Amino acid sequence: MSKLVTTMRKPWLAVNYLVLGLTAAGLAPHRVQPAAAASAPGPQDGDNTACLFCHSQSGLVRLLPNGESLPLTIDASHFIASAHNSLGCVECHTAIPAFPHPEFKAGSLREVSLLFYTTCRQCHQEQYDKALDSVHQKALAAGNTHAAICTDCHNPHTQTPLTDVKTGRLLPEARLNIPQTCARCHNAIYEQYKASVHGSALVGEGNTDVPTCIDCHGVHNIQNPTTASFRLYSPFLCSKCHTDPVIMDKYGISTQVLTTYVADFHGTTVTLFEKTSPDQVTNKPVCFDCHGVHNIQPVNDPQYGLAMKQNLLAACHKCHPDATANFPGAWMSHYIPSLTEYPVVYYVNFFYKIFIPTVIGGMVIYVLSDFTRRLIERRKGVRHV
Amino acid sequence: MSKKQSTSVQTPHQYKRFHWAQRLAHALLLVSFTTLGLTGMPQKYATAGWAEAMVKLFGGIELTRLIHHVAAVSLMLLAIYHLLDIGYKIIVRRSRMSILPGLQDLKDGLQAFLYNLGFRTHRPQMARYTFEEKMEYWALVWGTVIMGFTGFIMWNPLTSIRMLPGEIIPAAKAAHGGEALLAVLAIIIWHMYGVHLRRFNKSMWTGKLSEEEMLHEHPLELADIKAGLAERSIDPGLLRKRRSIYYPVAGVLATAMLFGVYGFVNSENTAITTLPPSSSVVPVYVPQTPTPILTLTPETQPPATALTWDGYVGQLFQHKCSTCHGVSNAMNGLSFATYADILKGSYGSLVILPGNSTGSVLVVKQLAGNHPGQLTTDELDQIKSWIDLGAPER
Repeated sequence: MSKLVTTMRKPWLAVNYLVLGLTAAGLAPHRVQPAAAASAPGPQDGDNTACLFCHSQSGLVRLLPNGESLPLTIDASHFIASAHNSLGCVECHTAIPAFPHPEFKAGSLREVSLLFYTTCRQCHQEQYDKALDSVHQKALAAGNTHAAICTDCHNPHTQTPLTDVKTGRLLPEARLNIPQTCARCHNAIYEQYKASVHGSALVGEGNTDVPTCIDCHGVHNIQNPTTASFRLYSPFLCSKCHTDPVIMDKYGISTQVLTTYVADFHGTTVTLFEKTSPDQVTNKPVCFDCHGVHNIQPVNDPQYGLAMKQNLLAACHKCHPDATANFPGAWMSHYIPSLTEYPVVYYVNFFYKIFIPTVIGGMVIYVLSDFTRRLIERRKGVRHV
Repeated sequence: MSKKQSTSVQTPHQYKRFHWAQRLAHALLLVSFTTLGLTGMPQKYATAGWAEAMVKLFGGIELTRLIHHVAAVSLMLLAIYHLLDIGYKIIVRRSRMSILPGLQDLKDGLQAFLYNLGFRTHRPQMARYTFEEKMEYWALVWGTVIMGFTGFIMWNPLTSIRMLPGEIIPAAKAAHGGEALLAVLAIIIWHMYGVHLRRFNKSMWTGKLSEEEMLHEHPLELADIKAGLAERSIDPGLLRKRRSIYYPVAGVLATAMLFGVYGFVNSENTAITTLPPSSSVVPVYVPQTPTPILTLTPETQPPATALTWDGYVGQLFQHKCSTCHGVSNAMNGLSFATYADILKGSYGSLVILPGNSTGSVLVVKQLAGNHPGQLTTDELDQIKSWIDLGAPER
């Protein structure tokens, strides 16, 4: 036994490091990312060599009671490249401070993750708290152990930095990987997204102008997207990019899509609901009811594109089952009426643009003349005739 | 009836101008018009802050629309009443159609304007309805027709476009909004000035005008009244006869028009009660297979060439056990470095009994689990076979 203690002296150093680490984490919760990015593993990281003494061996696995095997090998090359490379193993694995390890309770791989993920809050309290408010945490609290936790998206041993140290903004290469991360659990949606106008640009062309999952759903505080309030707010999610000329001009896409939608009966209703009663359930369509959610296609797509009249009619039929073939003409397809697009509407607007000032202007002129005349007469003491 | 409708002298200085039914109709028109304006304008300018506040005040957009619709139906019913009333006056009473506009009104208007500018010495002398009143009346008629027509299109879009292109629906909406703005502004400017600001004309509430007011505003009518020309007397027998014809006709017309209103409101439900939009078409939770795992998958060992110490077992032990049980640190006195070492065991006790895998401590330890260096099931099976074969070296 004395021999064991001598051999495993280093883990006790690691415990000391753990205490230091926790104190530092408590004092400065955000120090991790810059520190991780700034410093290569220094001498103090020698602590990890005690753990890596065993855990660097390839093929190290543990059979779990449910028959799954838990791989215990840490690939040092990946870990050194990770955002966590300056951390000691025991800073996260607080429950395993030394060897021999305490009794291991997890019965399955999922239980292992669920046992360990709360350790992330030591440094990532902000993200952890946001995640507590998420649809995933709500599902987990309701007993769905499939619900995503920190480690499902961020492998702590291999996760490279995701944000630019200086700007704090997401790195372009990180954006490219987001859909694959979500696809681990939402693969059917990912398949739809990959085939969509947005997904095919991101996955196929590496175009980071297009939205990834998080642009609409958020990151850690991901909300349930099937609620009435998400639905009412959704046009503003789309319009974040679709009213931005910097992005849209590249592709020749109109930035009037929101104003034209809001000007229409459907959009007016949705906008007013969003402002006055955000939880209102409504059957008035939002962007995704016509354009699709994850499977959005370009409007000129022959099979699904809404510029094809029969496709637009099919979209109308979702809510207006007895709509006739000319019914889609009632929707101005995000156009502002002009001499070439929806000229009847243009002429009506034009008529009132002229007619109202003419009539009202004439009235004002007459009223002013009458008022002035009577005022003069009253001053003069003339009783009007 | 004839007595009540008469515009004859009530008191020496009071002249009856409006019958109580007309005044009631005006009051109802006031309520419905105001309601339509108050609930309609926020819909036209929905994105403005004030519009939002008003919609909130009315209890949300759906309720705002419902109020707007109720007021619209009230206005339609008023219009029906008015049409029947006009019919009665024309067919039964053969009254003068003094509200009809004519060339004289244009002249009166011009003269009034020129007088205001100082180019004429007198205001125009006008009859029962001044050009200002006629203008307002016909503006209301025109407006109500436009609003009813465009309102029908918006209320019944599918019916409306059976014969017409779909584009007329947004066109109707544009016209409805433009006409509404015109009507509201006209009321604020023309009506407010003409009957409230210039002089508070209470005749629409009291039903009467004083002789002075009559003299100022309707001198020609006053002259007619004084000359006994304003009211035509009708033979009671003739009146009865005309009524007996008009009432049934009016009844049929009223029924037809009421059915029209009913149709206006109820003929189409599809645009109002629509299907709920479908939710996501694919299941949400579809994990990728094989499920991605937390840490890197260990490299799989190449299959054994020969199940001997030299062929397989030595390399496996070197790989998985020698960190603790190797040359430099033979933990618990056990080293897996050489074939001889492993047969020697730990401090003299054997860990391998060649030919007896189930009795070998190594196998027992590994089967129990929780050993830092853990062989996979396949590897352990290989080791068991090797021991059972007598643990050959080569």
